[in-house]
Amino acid sequence: MKSSKTVLLLMVGLALSWGLGLTAAVAKPIKIGILGPMSFTQGEGHWNGATMAAEEINATGGITVGDEKRLIELVKVDTNEFLSIPDATNAMEMAVSRHKVDFLMGGFRTEAVLVMQDIAMESKTIFIGCGAAHPKLCTRVMDDYDTYKYWFRLTPINSSFLGKVDFILLGTAGAIIKQQLGIEKVKVAIVAEKAAWADPIVAAAEKTIPEKMGMEVVGVWRPSPVATDCSAELAAIQRAGAQIVFTTFSSSVGLTFAKQMGELKIPAAPVGINVEAQKSGFWEATNGAGNYVLTINTYAPVKITDKTIPFYNKYKELYKEAPNYTAGTHDAIQILAQAIKNAGTIKADNVVTELEKIEFIAASGKVKFDKSHDVTWGPDYVTALGTQWQDGEMKCVWPYGWEGVTYEGSVPFKLPPWMVEYWKK
Amino acid sequence: MIVDILIDGLIKGSVYALLAIGFSLVLGVARIVNIAHTALYMTSAYLIYVGTKMMGLPTIVSMVAAVFLTILLGLLIYNYFIRPIQEHEAAMLISTIAVAMMLQEVFLMIFGGHYLGVNPLVRGYLTVLGVRVTNQHLLALGLAIIVLISTRFFLMKTRTGLAIRATAQDREVANLMGMNVNGVAMITMAVSVGLASIAGAIVVPLVTVEPTMWMHPLVMMLAIVVLGGLGSLEGSFVGAYILGFSESLVVFMVPMGSFLKDSVALSIMILVLLIRPEGLFGVSFEEER
Amino acid sequence: MRIVVAYTRRMLKILRSEVLVLPSRVAVLVFVIAILALPLVTQDYYILRIMILTSIFAILAASWDLLSGFTGQMNFGHALFFGVSAYVTALLNLNLGFPPYFSIPLGAMGAVLTGLIVGIPCLRLKGSYLALTTLAFPIILMGIVFAIPGITGGELGLSGLTKLTGSRVNDYYVTSILMLVLGGIMWKITDSNTGIILHAIREDEVAARAAGINTTRYKLLAFCLSGFFAGIAGGLYAHFMRLAGPSTLEIGLSFQVIIWSVFGGMVSIYGPIAGVYILNPFMEVLRVILDNFPSLPEMRMFIFAALVLLTLRFMPEGLIPWLRDKVETECPRCKVRNVAFRRSCRICNAAMT
Repeated sequence: MKSSKTVLLLMVGLALSWGLGLTAAVAKPIKIGILGPMSFTQGEGHWNGATMAAEEINATGGITVGDEKRLIELVKVDTNEFLSIPDATNAMEMAVSRHKVDFLMGGFRTEAVLVMQDIAMESKTIFIGCGAAHPKLCTRVMDDYDTYKYWFRLTPINSSFLGKVDFILLGTAGAIIKQQLGIEKVKVAIVAEKAAWADPIVAAAEKTIPEKMGMEVVGVWRPSPVATDCSAELAAIQRAGAQIVFTTFSSSVGLTFAKQMGELKIPAAPVGINVEAQKSGFWEATNGAGNYVLTINTYAPVKITDKTIPFYNKYKELYKEAPNYTAGTHDAIQILAQAIKNAGTIKADNVVTELEKIEFIAASGKVKFDKSHDVTWGPDYVTALGTQWQDGEMKCVWPYGWEGVTYEGSVPFKLPPWMVEYWKK
Repeated sequence: MIVDILIDGLIKGSVYALLAIGFSLVLGVARIVNIAHTALYMTSAYLIYVGTKMMGLPTIVSMVAAVFLTILLGLLIYNYFIRPIQEHEAAMLISTIAVAMMLQEVFLMIFGGHYLGVNPLVRGYLTVLGVRVTNQHLLALGLAIIVLISTRFFLMKTRTGLAIRATAQDREVANLMGMNVNGVAMITMAVSVGLASIAGAIVVPLVTVEPTMWMHPLVMMLAIVVLGGLGSLEGSFVGAYILGFSESLVVFMVPMGSFLKDSVALSIMILVLLIRPEGLFGVSFEEER
Repeated sequence: MRIVVAYTRRMLKILRSEVLVLPSRVAVLVFVIAILALPLVTQDYYILRIMILTSIFAILAASWDLLSGFTGQMNFGHALFFGVSAYVTALLNLNLGFPPYFSIPLGAMGAVLTGLIVGIPCLRLKGSYLALTTLAFPIILMGIVFAIPGITGGELGLSGLTKLTGSRVNDYYVTSILMLVLGGIMWKITDSNTGIILHAIREDEVAARAAGINTTRYKLLAFCLSGFFAGIAGGLYAHFMRLAGPSTLEIGLSFQVIIWSVFGGMVSIYGPIAGVYILNPFMEVLRVILDNFPSLPEMRMFIFAALVLLTLRFMPEGLIPWLRDKVETECPRCKVRNVAFRRSCRICNAAMT
């Protein structure tokens, strides 16, 4: 009996959604499509950040558009982009042409985002990227402004800025090693996943580290982004006598590497980008072996702006994990709401003009979009953070006196004790 | 450098061997290309995670429980979905793929795409000839050897082993001799799944537990089994070490190209097949018509 | 005028006596008409996108069947042809500015070449060895793709290709008609002398060789033909998605091709096509249904796998052959197919039992 009812319900649901349901929905609320791989941490971040922002804004009555207030309605678009690119584009097309969303945000895997960007631009829908770091997404705006002007990127900062921050972190760590361990020429092992986004960073590192930073490069290793074992690389790194392992990881290999490195107590400090180490689950997943891993990050419980700590704490309370950069959808909705308010309409072209002008204090810093619609990086704008795992807690260790910036709540960078022991003979 | 390559290759090879032996066994006896083999290995990993991290059981208890539950699951799948269609090779193959996908999706639904970790049975590391090796890796090496020896003993010295080998050689004749071919296949399946889940218990603390973790070992395992010769246990063992060594060779000799280790390993497999189409230790099966 | 009338009459006669008598032929006719008429009913971008991808994948699945079904050369790495062609097409289009109608055939020729390169070492391998070896090729190529990001774009792939045609409806007609035509050609190939030889190789290679057939040459031919059709699919995909990326080489895609084909019914060409046309839109219907229940976890892939598993459990030959056997029977005397409810054969009048 019950099962037949369910079947009936399903069929009705099917009929409704294919027939009138979706297209005839009331046009009153502003529909925002949240794109992300919803079964994965990244997509959860997209969705949680957006839900939180939408609830906050709806609690105040909604977004002010001209002289009326309109509520936000979120549309969950599961792109499944890790497993299937066609799936991602189908989901995107459904959001655009069936749900008729007014705005889009999210996206993670660059290969998928490039195609989704095309679909959004074709329908002239504003798409705020919160996840993919590749510069190409934004250079497209420069190359063909009229087509791509509806694209903006909020998080993370693009990979060439990531590279800059990366080197500053490296320099900081190098100075500390020099000072604490009395090593004259610090040896650096470059380990980067084999991916196109990491190539410029590796090329720059090979040049900058010996020439400008006075350190020595002992080798470059490029494991696969999904490698499940890094013991060979680690053995080679240890043999090379590196004191710093300069990491560039965005995929699962970051976790494998950090875990094995900690288990083998390799006497070196991991510094650089390791997206896995930005997640709260990192500590559990590495069984604590990920202690002392330093990575670039977007959010931490420090006072970047007045909004950061309240956002961080509330997010953590609601979703039991720290927000990582895909939760930038929270900031994105707030910025969008401001831009819509300024424009007095939700017409894409007008909102684009407002977004180009906006200077907004968000949880990640002061947001200003540059000419290529990329988020501006710098001491007064979004700086990004360096966070380090210290005994089960993610602490912000950078900026710490950089260009006069120290966010309240930051702590100094720590070297792993086994490393200190090994090198201090 | 040579020492590094030797030790690292040995360790890698033993992990692969653990996986490949079970797969090889069921392929040899029941002629099932069981794509779900590594998915069952993943199942055991998740069960251990549930046991240790969510229910708070001791590691060893949850490992034993996981091995038994996985065997049970494997047998249920075999009995209800694989055996009834064993005459249709393609359908059987797709069914094992479908089972693997279902397991992946189930874990994705329950645990999401989060990267999880399982506690190792033993912690810490040893320094062997100047190379640091985790104790868990050493355990894997030891166990791989024990498992191979005991599997070999089981196949060569016991009556059941004899039955399994006879079935592997000629199913039809074995059947005509009054052997319970299905029963033998069932036992083989249980042993095979058991090996997969033991591999899970040993290997899982070394890797990350996530719903697509079955893909990479699957490819390597298939390559090893083909390289060694289908259905040959020694072949799988040797194949595992060849690929293990080739991987670490790549990492040490061409650090910039360490992402190529899969490609190189698979190219070696193809090269070997060009010279010996039946693999290193393979015996060409009689054509089954 | 009289010629037109005469031809129309003849067409009608064929329609009545050859097509309408068999449910399977009626089904094919309805299918073709439905495909051609769809844009008259709806021009919804979403539906058209799904149907375009479906027709591209249908070509791919049918080309797999041509090689693996008919010739028995189990190919586990069919994504190789698809991916190679997608990349070649993209490179030609982006670097040399070749338009789609030029770059896609050339991309397919690239896939043919790959078929040769892969086919030669695979000739000596049989059964599972072959299957597992072919699985390795796309993975090796993936390594190469990542090794030369300057040319292939690494994990980003190559993006920004010329659009297939200007509009979605035209895209739809291009891909659908190509699917129908190429499907028809493939079906004709399997029905020709060559097809029968390929079939003979599958059944008994030794006997085929004993009959004086150069099996090596025919096996290579099968690899190349299959590569060509898969290559067309890859090129269409690249131009439609405006992207050729590493996802076109993933194991998942290779597996997907086999699932579609075996689900629909191997060794038939129309089976795999039907398989894709059932499963691919089914996934999207599921998406739309589940969209109404946002609290449920993502379970489309699970339902998909379960459906495949159950179907094969009860129809191990595949869905379409099973259905066909239900509605049609073969005349015991003249081997012509009849509707199941006929008492006597429509050709020779023999009693059907």
